[in-house]
Amino acid sequence: MGKLVYRHGIAERTTHWLWALALLVLFMSGLQIFNAAPYLDASDKSDPQRRVLAMGAATVDGQPVGIVTVFGHAVRTTHLFGFTDDGMGFESARAFPGWLTLPGPQDLADGRRWHLLFAWVLVIAYGVYLIAAGRRGTLREFVLRPSDLPKLWPMQLYYLRLRPEPPPHGTYNPLQKAAYTVVLFGFFPLLIITGLALSPGFDAAVPWLTVVLGGRQFARLWHFVLMVLLLGYFGTHLILVVSTGFWNNMRSMITGWYRLKEHDGVGP
Amino acid sequence: MKRRLFVASSLASLGLSGCGPIKEALTNGPFGHVLASTDRLNRAVIDTHGMARLYPDSAIDRSFRVNGLDTPSDAAYTRLAGGGFADYRLIVDGLADRPQRLSLAELRASGSLAQTTRHDCVEGWSAIGKWNGPRLSTVLAMAQPKASARYCVFHCFDRDAAGQPYYESLDLHQAAHPQTVLALDLNDAPLDPDHGAPVRLRIPTQLGYKSAKWISRIELAATLDGLYGGGGGYWEDQNYDWYAGI
Repeated sequence: MGKLVYRHGIAERTTHWLWALALLVLFMSGLQIFNAAPYLDASDKSDPQRRVLAMGAATVDGQPVGIVTVFGHAVRTTHLFGFTDDGMGFESARAFPGWLTLPGPQDLADGRRWHLLFAWVLVIAYGVYLIAAGRRGTLREFVLRPSDLPKLWPMQLYYLRLRPEPPPHGTYNPLQKAAYTVVLFGFFPLLIITGLALSPGFDAAVPWLTVVLGGRQFARLWHFVLMVLLLGYFGTHLILVVSTGFWNNMRSMITGWYRLKEHDGVGP
Repeated sequence: MKRRLFVASSLASLGLSGCGPIKEALTNGPFGHVLASTDRLNRAVIDTHGMARLYPDSAIDRSFRVNGLDTPSDAAYTRLAGGGFADYRLIVDGLADRPQRLSLAELRASGSLAQTTRHDCVEGWSAIGKWNGPRLSTVLAMAQPKASARYCVFHCFDRDAAGQPYYESLDLHQAAHPQTVLALDLNDAPLDPDHGAPVRLRIPTQLGYKSAKWISRIELAATLDGLYGGGGGYWEDQNYDWYAGI
């Protein structure tokens, strides 16, 4: 049995679960908001000529069908996207289904309220985490450094079982460090910034931001793309939490205590 | 058929009844107050600073998207429109020392600001139009607001299917923003009925539902309590935030 080490301070654990909840609410309420204008344009104002994604319904042979169009390529998605569950026990023309949106049925007003409230929860949890993790030294353990770069590929080979041993590392392996660094210092701030760029009041106060992002509709597209990327990270995160010692991992994020496994180091 | 915001909203109210007590408790129970509280927080942080971006005329959407409630079709509005709005008077009253009844000619004479700005709908889409009309602050100043006035409330000609009239409100700080105008023209032509003729609000620093169309009267008020649903606007009474800068 490996040694028990104290990995995550109370503030880090609390904020981790808090933003996990916030991201779930933001994801589901964000899809609710998306449903009100179920298309994304790579432009400033809405422009069908620069439409990257559209989700809608059409009638084919007298039957309603759901269609998702990505870069001009249409895919039938009936019952899942475009023509799907309306959250009230029926199906209707709706981009994302009621079971995936918050609140369930079409409700832009409340979707926005949930989204804007939990955006604050995310921002505050994220800020508190950065301070707490910075003070405890956790950030130092997982922020990717140039010296980690040569270890990324060997670590990938180890995950693919093409290499018997992982490269020597500290508390977190190089791929973990890369993922956490990109998510915490890339995805999180960019999601917040692209969200703010959608605000006409913020746009008037900080006009260069929307310009840098390619315009307001483009900011909406970035916001959506970042959500998809974060969703991809979340799926990987869950798989690895389960496959690398579920109870040990859960304990470390609930009580702080983690039992070291073979190859686990301690430190940056 | 035009896609209209109120369709979504009536579906939403159906949803409220269909989804039952959980959503009711979360949305309208004590947690509803928490949900509504970010309105003030967002306003405190973002508020009304800076200027909305101005666009070249080449960016204008010539057929500007129509949204909102149906164009008024009642006898009074139809008669005004039939007469080219010659008989129209914009009433500015309430907590004012010199209430006004302004004709379109008087409004045009009170100064005109042309601005090509982006209109951001709460639904998510954006369109660019050129708006022309006097600054709201100029018109309010003519009425000489009393010191107790904190808000201006826009009463409009349009009503929803249930007969509820549209109304909106700004505080006097938002009203004083130099880009907040009473638009008389869109894209160099007088507003047509579908775009809010003869007078609509245009506030580019907030979402589209604040830019009330078909304005008949501006009331200076000390509070928004007791006015219709108390939310300060037609959509606000249906859970949309009063501060629409975000």
